[in-house]
Formats: sequence, structure tokens, C-alpha cells
Amino acid sequence: MKFTVNWLKKYIDFDLSNRQLADRLTMAGLEVDCVEDLYPGLDALRVARIAKVQPHPNADRLSLCEVDDGEGIRRVVCGAPNVRAGMLTALAVPGTVMPGGFKIKPAKIRGEASEGMLCSANELGISADKAGIMDLPTDLAPGQSLVEALGLADTLIEVDLTPNRPDCASVIGTAREVGGFVGKRVKHPGVADLPELRDNDLPFSVEVKDSGACPRYSARMIKGVKIAPSPWWLQRFLLAVGLRPINNVVDVTNFVMLEYGQPLHAFDFAKLAGGRIIVRRAGIGEKTETLDGVERQLDEEMLLICDAERPVAVAGVMGGGNSEVSDDTADILLESACFDPVSIRRTSRRLNLATDSSYRFERGVDPQGTVRALERAVGLIVELAGGAAVPGGVDLKEGLRPVVPIELRVRRCNDLLGLRLSAEQIGAYLEAIEIATDIVDSQTLKVTPPGFRVDLEREVDLFEEVARLVGYNEIPTTLPHVPLSFADRDPARELRREVASIMTAQGYNEAINYSFVSERHYDMLGLDPAHPARHQIKLLNPLAEDQSVMRTMLLPGILENLRRNVNHQRPDIRLFEVGKVFHPTGAELPDEEVHMVAVISGRRNPDSPLIHFGEAECDFFDIKACADNLLTELRRCEVEMTAPAEPPEYVGSSPYLALGSGDLHLGGLGRLSADCLKAFGIKTDVYFLEVSLTGLAKTPARPKSFQPLSRYPSVNWDLAMLVPEDVAAGAITAAVKNCGEKILADAELVDIFRGGNIEDGYKSVAITVTYRDENKTLEDETVQKAHQKIIDFIGTRFGGKLREA
Amino acid sequence: MEDELQRSKSEALARLDAIDQAADLEEFRVKYLGRKGLFSGLMKRLGQVDPTERPRLGQLANSVKAEVEKAFDGRRQTLADSAGRERDRNLDLSLPGRTEPLGRLHPVTQIMDEVCGIFEGLGFAVAEGPDIETDFYNFEALNIPPHHPARDMHDTFYFSESVLLRTHTSPMQIRAMENKKPPLRMIAPGKVYRCDSDITHTPMFHQVEGFLVDEKVSFADLKGILSIFIARMFDEKTPIRFRPSFFPFTEPSAEVDIGCVICGGSGCRVCKHTGWLEILGSGMIDPEVFKKIGYDPELYTGFAFGIGIERIAMLKYGINDIRLYYENDLRFLRQF
Repeated sequence: MKFTVNWLKKYIDFDLSNRQLADRLTMAGLEVDCVEDLYPGLDALRVARIAKVQPHPNADRLSLCEVDDGEGIRRVVCGAPNVRAGMLTALAVPGTVMPGGFKIKPAKIRGEASEGMLCSANELGISADKAGIMDLPTDLAPGQSLVEALGLADTLIEVDLTPNRPDCASVIGTAREVGGFVGKRVKHPGVADLPELRDNDLPFSVEVKDSGACPRYSARMIKGVKIAPSPWWLQRFLLAVGLRPINNVVDVTNFVMLEYGQPLHAFDFAKLAGGRIIVRRAGIGEKTETLDGVERQLDEEMLLICDAERPVAVAGVMGGGNSEVSDDTADILLESACFDPVSIRRTSRRLNLATDSSYRFERGVDPQGTVRALERAVGLIVELAGGAAVPGGVDLKEGLRPVVPIELRVRRCNDLLGLRLSAEQIGAYLEAIEIATDIVDSQTLKVTPPGFRVDLEREVDLFEEVARLVGYNEIPTTLPHVPLSFADRDPARELRREVASIMTAQGYNEAINYSFVSERHYDMLGLDPAHPARHQIKLLNPLAEDQSVMRTMLLPGILENLRRNVNHQRPDIRLFEVGKVFHPTGAELPDEEVHMVAVISGRRNPDSPLIHFGEAECDFFDIKACADNLLTELRRCEVEMTAPAEPPEYVGSSPYLALGSGDLHLGGLGRLSADCLKAFGIKTDVYFLEVSLTGLAKTPARPKSFQPLSRYPSVNWDLAMLVPEDVAAGAITAAVKNCGEKILADAELVDIFRGGNIEDGYKSVAITVTYRDENKTLEDETVQKAHQKIIDFIGTRFGGKLREA
Repeated sequence: MEDELQRSKSEALARLDAIDQAADLEEFRVKYLGRKGLFSGLMKRLGQVDPTERPRLGQLANSVKAEVEKAFDGRRQTLADSAGRERDRNLDLSLPGRTEPLGRLHPVTQIMDEVCGIFEGLGFAVAEGPDIETDFYNFEALNIPPHHPARDMHDTFYFSESVLLRTHTSPMQIRAMENKKPPLRMIAPGKVYRCDSDITHTPMFHQVEGFLVDEKVSFADLKGILSIFIARMFDEKTPIRFRPSFFPFTEPSAEVDIGCVICGGSGCRVCKHTGWLEILGSGMIDPEVFKKIGYDPELYTGFAFGIGIERIAMLKYGINDIRLYYENDLRFLRQF
């Protein structure tokens, strides 16, 4: 909602600076979005009279003008088609800086001297009119400041209205709020007493067929108007708030809409078939052309204003081109109605047509106010366009609901707000903004909400008014008295935080990506169309093609991040993300699972000093370390890493291990295939880990339990075994650890060696085995026996033999 | 023999004194103290001396050898110390530490944790709800029926007519109240979505919803809790103001502003020259919401609030473009 300070002052007296006014409005709940001086930089412009016009000797389209600037005659070359002797216009003398920054200088134009410039409204930033130089009212005097003469010195204020305050989508509504905080009442323009509209002997008739959708329809007729441009004072208000002046009748309807918040519509009476207005729902397949020239397909829920034959307006949204006021209109029918907000909003949405009128109707206009606005407009039209108002009029209000007073309980109000007001104080606050109150007793008020406050329906709505009028910042600040209780945590959130801290401890930085991704990502991963990850939920209204489906994996997003970082010369990367993935289930809501993805690329130790760590690149065992640490720290002892028969498409033949526990698949880790990297535009090797945290949470966590610390020393004995090449070294140590030897404490791989004197198809695996007895110091003989058993065990189990030194 | 012992001692000690490199010590040890060294040789010759002198000379030989060994150990220690000192002296302490990489949490997570931590400290429970919601939880139950103009405040992503991406974390109010009776105090952190994208809007962002319901909870209490939050999140001295606003699920509704952290209240581009920054929305839970989930609105009152995490992070860290959050550029992520 836009208005100017001078406009506001027509209805309310106040003595506040613009800044103060804006602050007070904001604190009253009318949030001021901007305060700006209108038409800055026009101080040097003057009113001038064109004394004489001659053709320019060297240019057909230019004129030589002798201009009276109030101090004397000066010569100005002008190119406007509308220039004529005797006209008053705007003059920029040399030295003036125009709104666009252009400085006027004395010049020779096609050989003729010009001492200034005659200006159009467009050049001065006053309106879009660039058809010619300004044609100013003849009662102005040459030499006057243009700003003063046209009343241009004004300030525009724009309020970001909340949907509950349609009453303030009007200058008078805003003035009423100002009245509330300056302690004054609004001065209403126009007639003081409203006539009752009688419909005897009218040359027109109105029928409302759906009084639910149109609770009130008021209309009057004016005969013999003369359509012309509006006077400057009216144009100025419209221009200031960004409306284009059209003609005196249309401008009045717009002006009164802005003044009272009541949208009005003027029909050319001659174009209304049968002199009739019928308010009805549209029929199936019905169409009409609105006055913006667009043909609109209507549906049965849309409300129409029709004449005897056809629709002449989409009710409350836009008039029809077929009945619009034009230059030769003589008689007009003026509509001031109240429509059902839901109906208007639906229609406006369906037609994708939002207007100043629909904006107000869908929020709710004052059902009591149609006649007041109608009378105001009739008065102005007769004043500005001549003609005579036909006595009487129509005021159908079958659908009008009676105003029900609301009971306000003083104690309840005080309890809710934390205040201690008396019934009298509450009454006085509400009365300040024209809300009628009756004090029933010291604990009760009967409050009758005024028609323009369509938002006041319940007691609690009145509490908000009281709070607002007291001022939120005047309400005390206290703390609630609540019983002590244990505050539950969200287990999924706790797990996520634990995972995040394990990941950051390992040097991974957290990324957050959008939950919606491009469908193309799954092609880039090389996933088959039948792959479960391609079973995604699609947005009906995505902002962009690359944000059109809900992600089923986190990997693609983080690969995009990785590429971005590489492209910005950050090739050494450890990134992870914890986030939801979404799978349709057939139920109304999909399954939401929390996943974790990590990627590593480039130097093994990003951000670590080169002088200590060198350029070593990361490899599979770096991402495996990440998985190991994660599982160890989360104590997920049942989760295993296995080489699957079929690794994912985006891995291909690269190294990969799947994570799982029994039948539960939890994710995997490995290197991305060259094809996948190419699809994502990444030129370096990337290792990744993906884990379902939701799945992981289903596997048991090993409880923390104490193991006594041994008081006896351990001994380490080495062994080197020759085993066939296809035996996994990790399998040997794992088997040794679980072989059941009582004094065996640990077995660790030391080295794997091939070549030399080792026969082809074999490798030497060196292991250091730790022995310890919990109850005594070990003797060599005991260790020797155990060690031989281990050697025999490996020999039998893996087809190995002891390597001779 | 006695003379020879004394002479050997003097000679050995003198030689030892002259040794200034660790490498020469071994040569010394072999020559004097080794198995075939000078003192071993002297010891062996003890057998040839007069038996009556033997005990005395033996004692002397032992003490001489012990003295030389002690001096040798001392010398070795001295040389080791000085070598150590030499190494220390040459150590370039300006070299960087041998740092292993340490990762960082995303700034949004950091602020989210900070916000949640404040309310957890006040005894608020934490629960998260689904990102994909029904129209009922996101709108209807929150007193936003179809065709309510307030839906204009939420540019909603839809999957179908009734399933959507939540536009705020407020649906958790409903889900929590459906399952529990007052007293309730809870926060619900999470991602929210609106179809809007420019320098100040991303289609996904983060909110923390909070609410407290009990008998006799007042607007003054709402002010109290949110004042504590702002004092903790920013600074005890941060100016704070409450201003009327509108949310369909609260009545009265309040926006909370803090004194501009950029200009200190004198007016700048960020605060649109008002000196104030909008920081969160709040209000007393509307009785219609209580009715929808079956609470008696005459008995219970409560307040709710919603905090935008990105905005707080922007203000605290001076981030000027919200889109940076989701590009995951390490140059950005490593700053926080």
C-alpha cells in the first residue's frame, strides 16, 4: 500500500516528522517498507508561458519559442508536437540538472540559440507521458517554482500490509491508525449524511442471484458526463502511487478506491444491454474479454457482472472491454459492491489476474462502506465531469451478515497479555481507533467491531488490538512458571551430530545441498532407468530443471560441490554431508531416510603443511579409514565390509566395498569410475563413502564395557608366511585373531612382499603377533608352542608355509 | 704398577677432556675401557704382581677404572647435551606445526546448534519432523485454510494438491501437540522450502520452530523467553523490540527486531535505514490451532516462534549473499 504524506494529511492532523510517522506506523503493525521524497531534483524548474512560436528555419520538427520565464523573454528551441503560443509549461533554465543527470546548457540547435529546455512530464520523472511538453493549468503564473505550483513536494510512504489489515489498504484507514496514536479523529471527505438509496423509477435494474458471493451491491447512475482528463490535483495523487491517470471518471473510481479501500467500477450505461445488471455465477464454458484485451475462460465458481445478454465484468477482479468508459461515454452506472473474499481470491488465482480491486476484495472490504464510497465518487464525478446524478439508486444487501458484538473479558485479556488494565482503560484504547465499546461491568466489555475491521471476529482478535494499542514494548517481560521436566532429544538428530563430529575430527568439512536435484544426475551416475534410486518424487512446480526431483542419494550433490572446488583451485578436498533422501512408498508421505556421504580427493592431508606432509595423494585406504573410524566410534561391531558381486554402476571396476549387516544394506565405499567422473566433469580421482544413518541406527551398538588392564608384559613375535597370491592378507590377520589361541592378544600386518626368491603366484605376508597371559608372565616355551600353532593354522587354513629366512 | 695406573688415569682423563665429538668417544672407549683396552690389560697384569700388593693394587685399579668410566659417561653426556643444544639451536621454529586436517561444520549447522543449545538450556525438548508434509499440517491445522491470503506469504512447492514441501517448521507444533498433553515446551529445527530464489532468498533454508504451552502462559512470557534467546545469541546489550504483525496461527502476533548489528542503529543499507533488523516471528498460539488438535483453548495458552537460521548467520558473520551457503565452496566453509 502506497500513499503520500500530504494525501494522508487531508484526513488527519498530526505533527510528526516523516521518520517519526514511519516509525509509529511500523510499531502499530503497519510495517513501513520505504519512505522517499517524490520528484527529487526539480527545485530549479519553473513555470513558463510560451509567448510566441515560430518554425525553426533549419528543421521541420523543431520550433523556435519565445518564452516568458517571469523575469523576461528567452529563446528556447523545442521539438514537442504540442507546443503552442499561450501555453504554460515547465522550463529548465541553463544550469539545471535533470533527473537523469543531464545538465542543461545554453546551446545552438541547428544554428539557432536555445537558452533552456521545455520539458515533458516524462523527462521530469512525474509520469510516463512523453507525448509532448507539459501542458500546465492556465491559472499558474510564469516564474513560479514548478514544485510549488504543482504541489510536487511530497513524500511517498509504502507499507507492507499484512493480510489481516485490508482496512489499511486505504489512505483513510491508515489515517485512522495515525489517529489512534496521535489521539485525533479522521476527517471524512464528502457528504456527511448518507442518503438511503431508493430504487423507485430508476432507468436501470440490478439483480443479485448469489447473495452469498455478493453480500452487497450498491449502484447509482450519472447522466451527461463529459469524459476528459482529470485535473492535476487528482492526477498527482494517482501518479504519486504509481497509477496511470486515464480519464476523469476512471480516475475518480481509482482515487476513491485508494481513499476508502472500496473498489468501484464505472460502466458505460449505453453499452449495458437492457439497462440491467445481473450478478451471477459463470456458466460452463463461458468466456469474456476483460478490459486488458485478454479473453478469459471462465468456470462455474466465478462470479460475473452481466447485463441482460452477456458478462460485462469479472466481479471484483476486472471490468469487461465491452462496457468500458470511453471518450464518448455520456451516462455511467457506478458500482460499489462487496464480494466474498474466497470467491474473489479463487477467481483471481484461476485467471492469474491480480488487480488492485481483487487485492482488496480477497482480503475483505467493509460491507458497511459501499454507499459512503459510492456517494463520494458520485460527488467527485459530478464535480469533475459534469452531468447529473439520477436520484436514488440500488443497494441490495440480502447477504449482509448482522454485526455481532463480542464479549471481552478483562481478566482473560490481562492474563493473556501479562497486563493489569481496567475495563475503562481497555475501552479507551479500542475507542481510539473507532471500535465501539460498552462497559458491562468491571470485568466485561461488549465490543462492536466496525465494518471496516473485517479481521475482528473473536475475543482474542480484540486482545491483539489492546496489545497493539498499549504497545508491545510497554508490555512487561516475564518468564513462564513451568514445571521441571526432562527434555527429550531427537535420537536421529543426536546420531547426526555424533557422525558430524567424527567426520570433522577426520578433517572432513560439512556441506549442505538442496534436497531437490536434477534428474540428470542419475544419468551422470550411469544408473539404469529401473534402478531404485531413480524412483524419485517429482515437484509439480520446480524453480528450475536442476531442482526438479527429491534426491534419493547424496552423492551427486557433493560431486557437484567437489567439481566447483576443483574449478576454484581447491583440489584437495574432504567434504561430507548428512541429509535426508526421499523414497516414495505408495503412502501419502514418502519415506525420509538420513544418509551420510563423504568424498576425498587430491592431497591426502589437505590444509596440512607441505613441508611435513608432502604431496602424497589420497587413495582407497583413506576413505576406508574414514569408514573404519566411523564404525569404531559409533561402536557398530556388526557392520561388515564385503566385496559385492556387483558394485554400483558409478564404481564399475574400481575398488569398492559394500557396507552391510546381515541382510541390511547400508552403503559402500570406493573409487568412482572414470565414466562417472567424466560425466561430472571431474579430472581427479575421487573416493567416496555413502552410509544410511537411518539403517545404521537399526544395527546394535556395542555397549561400552570395561576390560581389566593386564598387569603382565606382552611379547611380540614375528612371522612371515608364503601364501598364494589370492589370499587376502586382511583375512589372515582376522582369522588369526579369532583362532581361539588363549594367549594371543593381537595380530597385525607388518609387510607384504613379492618377488626376490619368492616363487610366482605367492607372496610373503609378515605379521607381528602379540602374546599375553592375563595371569602370569609368559615363558618362551609357552609362546613357542602357541606361535607354532598359529603358523600351522595359517598353513592349513590358507595353504601357506613359513618363509625361510 | 701403581705409577702406571696413575699415569694411565691421567692420560685417559686428559684424552677424554680433549674429545669434543661424539664420534671420537667410541675410539676412546675401545682403547681404554674396551675388553682389549688399556685398563683391561692392566687388570690382567695384576696377576703378575706381588701377592701381598695384589689386594691394594687391585682396589686401586678398580677405582681408577671406575673413575675413568665415570668421566667417560660424564663426557658422553656433556657431548650429547651439547649436540642436543646444537640441534635445538638450529631448529626453525617458524615452520608450521605438523597439523592434521580438522574439518568444520557448515555455518548453518553451527548456528543451528547454537540456537538449539540455548533453548535446550531452557529445558525445551528437541524433535524433528518430515520435510515433506501434508497440506493439513503445513496449512489447515495452522489456521490457514485454502484460499487464505496468508498463503501468498508462502510460495509453496507441491507434489500433489495435498502433499508439499513444508514452508515452515510450524507443522511440528501440530504433530507434537497431537501426541502430548501440556505442559509442553519444544523446539523443532529443520529445513524448509519456498519457491523463491535471489540474493536474499534460497529455495531451501533452515528454521527453528519453538513453542511452549501450559496454563496461564502470557505474551509477557513470550517476551521473556525471546529476550533471553537474543541476549544469548547476540549480546546482553542488544536492543530488542516487539512489533505487531500477522501470522494466521498466532494471535497476537509479533515480529521481533534487534538493533542493527551492522551499523549499531544509526541506519545502513542492511537495516533499510531504520536501525532495526527483523530477526524472528512469534506470537500467542491462536485458539483455532488448539481447537484443531483438541486442546481446550480456555484452559491452555502458549506461544510459538520461528527463527530463520541463515539470516542469523548472515548477521553474525556479515555474509552478504545467501546463495553462498549452498555452493559449498571450501573457501567459504573454512571461514567459520
